[in-house]
Amino acid sequence: MPDIGKSLSDAEIRRTEENLALIKEQERIIADAAERVRQAGRPAEAIHKRGQMTAHDRLEYLVDPGTWCPLHTLYNPADNEEGCTGVINGLGKIEGKWAVIIAFDNKVMAGAWIAGQPENILRVTDLAKRLNIPLVWLTNCSGVKLMEQERLYAGRRGSGACFFRHAELNQLGIPVLNAIYGTNPAGGGYQGISPTILLAHKDANIAVGGAGIVGGMHPKGHFDLEGALKLISATKSFKAKDPGRVETHFDQTAYFREVHDTETGVLDGIKRYMQALPAYDPVFFRVAEPAEPKFSTEELNRLLPANQKRPYDICQVLARITDNSEFMEYRSDYGPEVVTGIAKLEGLPVGIIANIQGIFPDYPEYAQGAYQGAGGKHYRQGLIKQNEFVVLCGRDNLPIIWLQDTTGIDVGDLAEEAELLALGQSLIYSIEQTDLSMMCVVLRKGSAAAHYIMGGPQANNNNAFTLGTPLTEIYVMHGETAAAAAYARRLVKEHESGRDLQPILDKMNQMMVDYHEKSRPLYCAQRGFVDEVISLPDLRKYCSAFVGASYQNPRSITPVHQMLLPRVIKG
Amino acid sequence: MANLTSPMPGKVMAIKVAVGDKVEVEDELIILEALKMETPIYAEDAGTVAAIKVKEGEAVKVGDVLVVIE
Repeated sequence: MPDIGKSLSDAEIRRTEENLALIKEQERIIADAAERVRQAGRPAEAIHKRGQMTAHDRLEYLVDPGTWCPLHTLYNPADNEEGCTGVINGLGKIEGKWAVIIAFDNKVMAGAWIAGQPENILRVTDLAKRLNIPLVWLTNCSGVKLMEQERLYAGRRGSGACFFRHAELNQLGIPVLNAIYGTNPAGGGYQGISPTILLAHKDANIAVGGAGIVGGMHPKGHFDLEGALKLISATKSFKAKDPGRVETHFDQTAYFREVHDTETGVLDGIKRYMQALPAYDPVFFRVAEPAEPKFSTEELNRLLPANQKRPYDICQVLARITDNSEFMEYRSDYGPEVVTGIAKLEGLPVGIIANIQGIFPDYPEYAQGAYQGAGGKHYRQGLIKQNEFVVLCGRDNLPIIWLQDTTGIDVGDLAEEAELLALGQSLIYSIEQTDLSMMCVVLRKGSAAAHYIMGGPQANNNNAFTLGTPLTEIYVMHGETAAAAAYARRLVKEHESGRDLQPILDKMNQMMVDYHEKSRPLYCAQRGFVDEVISLPDLRKYCSAFVGASYQNPRSITPVHQMLLPRVIKG
Repeated sequence: MANLTSPMPGKVMAIKVAVGDKVEVEDELIILEALKMETPIYAEDAGTVAAIKVKEGEAVKVGDVLVVIE
């Protein structure tokens, strides 16, 4: 494959010192928020004092070192008081095989169901289905947080939907492995029973109902002091054990395949079951030996300007992600505003689509000189090229990585006559008809419909996950454009009436501030506009995980020697 | 004497050097603005800035001389 990229010059290194500092500042904001999430709930020491491991401890023991790619660390779509979704999850290898892994955070209300958590769990089950790889649960779930059950128990995407997803995964032939710890009543009981293989710690229990509810009281219709004293007395003398213990579910019902005396014993059991699962050795699909990029991934922090108005060379970025900094470009002579082509990650072929920055004189051709082409936008040729490339990747079973830095699709009469509206939707159709796994990185800007059509998270059936960087900003349009669009007519009216314009100007300036705050990487991560904000040097790690996982249990194969794209490119 | 010319149509947004400044290859000399983007123009030669042929706010075309280096 042709080489791309070149070393940074001394001048570039000198010039980009300030950029390093700006990016570090954004990374610090994300890291501080991640630390707050990590400290959520009870302190780890309190869990350790009881002789138990925290979810983080368990994950560290289970996951192959260096392979953990966390997702949804900052996700908190319900803006709950815990400040997190209470489930720690991501992609990682166990005994050399990729799995989607999710653990209840037993520090946070003993792993309770909390607001926002169902959305996180559904994203995780979707991920396992899209990549067709095992789902591994570390269950430790005290059931619904009773104080706010209306925020999560019911509804189409409430907590119970997870159990139907587990049934769906099983039906699709995707195993769900379960390591069970602690007391898991009601909701926890179904978290326990719904996976495929149940391995339990000796003190674990899973049940339809917990001991507290089994205890039962005679309802009066209200609580008063007399009732409270009866309740206190009953609770103090309560001796019944939590139902669904090992004596029942290992010795009698045999739901638990294994029971272990130690927490790590259960995880060793998970590892043995992972060894028993099918997975292609990557050698089956590799087209070359894996190779690190020729240039350091750290240089990405110099290459991507924090100043969103500055352009950069996307090939320099690609050269710090792909194997051996190689890239086979498709149709370099057409659609100058986007680059499409094949690269290798861990020796496995993958399709890549990215925006190209800069100014394109004499383009688009349909504008006939009325205006110039701007990088980050989409025009007719680029849209046609992306459509072709996606369709060919579908035929060749090449997973696709989308690198977005886009402000939208061209607008105006000329653009409409050039069919851009339909070409944008055509790209959506092209994506949908492939049944390919795709990954999206919002390198800097993700806005307007362009954010959707470039394999954005809205591609629910194809997009496995979406990443942000310290420079990500996601909004329908830039705040200044939005304020002008929203208030222009008001300004005209007020001005014609001779009234003071300042109140409207204040609203417009406030809107700009608002748009800025609600498009920062931290906000995007908390709202779930992206599944995780990562550092630029970590891009290759996540891309490799995505590609490796995609080729582990593929549902459809195109033999390399029967692929069309490489031959179309070669000519 | 080397002429640094504009690679694109745009507006001179900022001039980062003054006559007499010593510059090295790839130093940022001018920033052009077009289509809401700032495109930096870098020195192609090392030397001293002999003349600056544009003013801030001035519109330039492809090929217009921006800076002269000796």
